[in-house]
Amino acid sequence: MTETLRKVFEGVLDRLQYQVTTLLPPLLAGAVILLAAYALAILSRWIITRIFKGMAIDKFLRQSGLAFMIDPSGRLRAVTIAAEGAYWAFLIAGVLTAVSIFDTDLTTQMVQAFVFLLPKLVLSGAILLAGAWLAQYLGRGMLVWAVNEGIPAPRRVAAVVRVLLMFIAVVVAADQLNFARSVFLAAFIMTCGGIVLAASIATGVAASRGLERFLMDKQDAQKEPSPSLWNHL
Amino acid sequence: MTPAAISPGAEQAAGFVRQADIVVGIPSFNNARTIGHVVRAVHAGLAKFFPQWTAVIVNSDGGSTDGTRQEVLSAHMDEQHLLLLSTPVSAAHRLSVPYHGIPGQGRAFRLIFEIAERLGAKVCVVVDADLRSIAPEWIDHLARPVLQAHYDLVTPYYHRHKYDGTITNNIVYPLTRSLYGAIVRQPIGGEFGISRKLFHRYLERTDWETDVARYGIDIWMTTIALAENFRVCQSFLGAKLHDAKDPGADLSDMLKQVMGSVFLLMLEYEPVWRVRSGSRPTELFGFRFDVGVEPVAVRVDRMIDAFRAGFRDLHEIWQRVLAPKTYEGVRSVALHGGRTADPFHFSDALWTDVVIDFACAFRRRPMDRGYMMSSFTPLYLGRVASTVLAFEPLTAPEVENEIEQLCLQFERAKPGLLARWDGNGAIVNTKEEAKENTP
Repeated sequence: MTETLRKVFEGVLDRLQYQVTTLLPPLLAGAVILLAAYALAILSRWIITRIFKGMAIDKFLRQSGLAFMIDPSGRLRAVTIAAEGAYWAFLIAGVLTAVSIFDTDLTTQMVQAFVFLLPKLVLSGAILLAGAWLAQYLGRGMLVWAVNEGIPAPRRVAAVVRVLLMFIAVVVAADQLNFARSVFLAAFIMTCGGIVLAASIATGVAASRGLERFLMDKQDAQKEPSPSLWNHL
Repeated sequence: MTPAAISPGAEQAAGFVRQADIVVGIPSFNNARTIGHVVRAVHAGLAKFFPQWTAVIVNSDGGSTDGTRQEVLSAHMDEQHLLLLSTPVSAAHRLSVPYHGIPGQGRAFRLIFEIAERLGAKVCVVVDADLRSIAPEWIDHLARPVLQAHYDLVTPYYHRHKYDGTITNNIVYPLTRSLYGAIVRQPIGGEFGISRKLFHRYLERTDWETDVARYGIDIWMTTIALAENFRVCQSFLGAKLHDAKDPGADLSDMLKQVMGSVFLLMLEYEPVWRVRSGSRPTELFGFRFDVGVEPVAVRVDRMIDAFRAGFRDLHEIWQRVLAPKTYEGVRSVALHGGRTADPFHFSDALWTDVVIDFACAFRRRPMDRGYMMSSFTPLYLGRVASTVLAFEPLTAPEVENEIEQLCLQFERAKPGLLARWDGNGAIVNTKEEAKENTP
């Protein structure tokens, strides 16, 4: 009995020793790497904040409307983007290095998957950002134009433009990531079909009204034309 | 000098004429209805007042489809009916040439200046093609101050209906006067007399392809002359009666182009206008007389609706462009103006702040300049509606006095403009202005 207990206890100790001797060094090394990466991340953020000016980029961000789009307060600066970018780059690199130290199948797969996906993620993010910017830019243009032309519900018109452009950006980004490709593509085709159908109906209705108005105008041709809103310029 | 705007056809025509002392330019686009009268008046003016000078009438056309160019070439004036004291040395030549590139008045002007330059003209006179009140004397009034008094730019001075010329009265005249310190009543009148020195300077410029190429040309010409210390005067021309603007044109674009030109030139001539204060009168030639003007019909209710709709849908843009105090003022007018017993009122002080804030935002560029300037249209319509209501019971001199008060308001606000221009955000207003600003 005692012998059995001793053997079990020794087995536990052996396994523990094995695990400690096998896993503790990489764990410690991983922790050290993580700490170092964190320190580097903070240091890089601090240095960039003090050195980098990026006034030209600030100007671009402000003028393009990206500053207001990403941060509604409009206080977004190039230096913040650069500093935060460096901070997260160091941190993520640190985590990946720390994880890869364990050298197991799981960690290798994790690192490989991340490295493989990273360019696609970056590209998809850029597509979404560009789509959001374009949607905002053209939506605003549509809004101003619709207000000046006296088109009813200009905000809705602008919102439709924004949503459509954003939807296109999401479809392209999903295609990049190979994520629910068929679902997004089907939805996109259905939306486009719906738009074409709606436009056709609208054109038909407008044409019939236009014809009606044309015939009425012909009758009213003798009457005095009403003054333009702008004839005082 | 930027690449020449002159086409081979125009070059050939100019080569045929070879030399002219006076070039009279008539920019046109679908003005067949009125241009014949304008050409006859110009022809008569040249024959009557400048018989010893060689002259050319140049029609710079933007591709009219209504026979404008044929009308120019076929317009006939029988000199026997002019009661001339001396026979002209030679009859004025007539050229009608199309211009190429960006369609617009600026492009047409450029071609006229190019031809004037090639012909070695001493003076170039420009008149609108849609004028119905032009008389032969206009050519004399526009050309003689250049030829005999050595002025460089002659701007028109005429009577207009109290509701006419609202961009001039509300924006361009007060702003130009407060910036450059010269009282030029019609800085975008459309009729000018220009010396050789000045049109040569215009042709040297490289910004012909901006808003200047279109409706911004008039204020561009006046501003350059004022900012670069050319000699500027005014000539009294009587009344200005002209055809209604082309209904097909996007008139919001016209406002945008004129203001865009003003603001672009503010950026360029900042060192000039920063140091100028107050305003001084500009020499006025011609015998002033009262004359009847055609009434202008306006639709105030629709303008107010457009302003309110603008506030409802564009207030986020205005919030980013206007200073907080200005925005609050606009908001108050949009929400409460005209809804009580008091009439709709967009005060001078508030309007001045709006224009100044847009000028500063144009420099700061918190967003795309095009959209920002387009969003100005409803504000402008609100202001015009307010002035129409305010001017309704007033006589012409009283209206002129009101416009004078607006100009003085702009002049008083100049320190505030400088502060905001420099990014201090300070709104320098007196207590009285603040009181007036409260609807």
